Amino acid sequence: MSHSHAPGQPGHTHGPQPQAGQPGVQQPAMVMRPPDPVMQAVIEDSFSQVNIALGPPENVSALCSAHSLEKCNDCDVDFINLNRLSKMLHLNPNLRCPPPPQIVSQKLSMAINNTKEEGNALFKAGQHDKAIQRYTMAINVAAQRPPWEASQLMREELSTIISNRSAAYLESGNYVGALVDAEAVITLKRGWSKGHFRKSKALMKLERYHEAKEAIELGLSFEPSNVEMGQILADIESTLKAREVTRQVKRENAPEPLPIPVPTAA
Amino acid sequence: MFSVDFKSLLAPLLYVIIVFGGLYVFSTLYKRYYANQIIEPYFPRHKERDIYVSLLQHSDPPAPEQLLKAALVRRAMTDVQRIIRIREDKPVIQALTQKGSLGDDLMTSVQAAEKELEAEILEVAQEANSYVEGWGQIIFQTATEMLQNEKMRGMLEQMQISRAEKAKKYPVKHVVRPSPVTGSSAASVPPTPSSAKSTNGLAPPTTGTESVASSDGEGPATPSTPRTPKSAKKTKKRK
Repeated sequence: MSHSHAPGQPGHTHGPQPQAGQPGVQQPAMVMRPPDPVMQAVIEDSFSQVNIALGPPENVSALCSAHSLEKCNDCDVDFINLNRLSKMLHLNPNLRCPPPPQIVSQKLSMAINNTKEEGNALFKAGQHDKAIQRYTMAINVAAQRPPWEASQLMREELSTIISNRSAAYLESGNYVGALVDAEAVITLKRGWSKGHFRKSKALMKLERYHEAKEAIELGLSFEPSNVEMGQILADIESTLKAREVTRQVKRENAPEPLPIPVPTAA
Repeated sequence: MFSVDFKSLLAPLLYVIIVFGGLYVFSTLYKRYYANQIIEPYFPRHKERDIYVSLLQHSDPPAPEQLLKAALVRRAMTDVQRIIRIREDKPVIQALTQKGSLGDDLMTSVQAAEKELEAEILEVAQEANSYVEGWGQIIFQTATEMLQNEKMRGMLEQMQISRAEKAKKYPVKHVVRPSPVTGSSAASVPPTPSSAKSTNGLAPPTTGTESVASSDGEGPATPSTPRTPKSAKKTKKRK
């Protein structure tokens, strides 16, 4: 409101208008020092026009002017994220600007937590598929958090829920799903042993023991004293040894088979 | 005798003139060459800034304030990315330049970029304050959080793709087994598709909050929709 941007309004310092080197003409009373005029001139020189058309609703979205697309490869523009934020501000007219990150929507956190707890209860009751649904829903809700809110909170929420869902997938026999979720947990929180633990378990179920071993070793490097992970590592190693033995036995029993079937048989 | 003296002077004199003349010519040419050389910009074009300014200049009709604010936030996000980049790169480039492994050009362009960035940040803060008093103090915090948020959203979106890839990479052996137990498990299967849906994060938040109230009622409703597309995936889910 305080700022009306009619084109060509005098006393305004942005844009490549000719009055380059006079910063802070119309500056609110603030302690901030004005930007370096030389650099500002450099910035203004570097400007090159982007052709934009305004789109619905009520002109709050930007589109490329040639094709009226949000994301246009020909014009080399991508306004999707810009428009998402713009629409968010449009839908919340009380919000004059994104609030500071510390302000968090408590309702959302509660909804996420409740859904997660339901999932946990179902998981304990052995209804893994239903638990997965709950967790998925909780992830959905967590992804709805306004983007300007503290990302740490979202990271915590997502990593716990996805980690739980990974466990549920593992129990329900969807090992690939468990693996994908575990890897997502690792990208969210690399130093958290749970992600590596779950990844290793999923890989074991997929019978990729070497990869499982790598995963758990990486996890142990973050948390060397973790008993759970140490146990897994021991398990993997014993399994690998056992496999090695059976493979040798097989080789002795059938000395002349093609080398290809051996790994599949093992 | 006199003429001989003069001749013997000529050679050293000529020598001096040639040497210093050569040096002078070289230095002027070299300086001119360097003066004409443009410092290569360290960062590519600041597109978000161009978009913002273009929107400001958009006159018919003028861009609404929400769009301008959103564009300003995106501009700040790019600035934050650049601040991080420079903070990471500068010490390395400095060390390498001191060692002599890198030319001065790169260091000069980093320094120029740093100065420009400083002016850019002040400008963004000023712009923000002109919309809402005090926004300039928090717009970069907001931008940082939004960058993180977008990264996480991107990861969630990536999960669908990675799921398909992983399914190929780790062919599930259990599928081979006959699966007569379709009755109960079929209903419980669809979380995979619905979770895939979840990952784009665009589902309206209302469904989530409603479902909290009606805990189990939601169960059968979700599965019914995405049943068909991923039937191949379902089989391995059962066990």
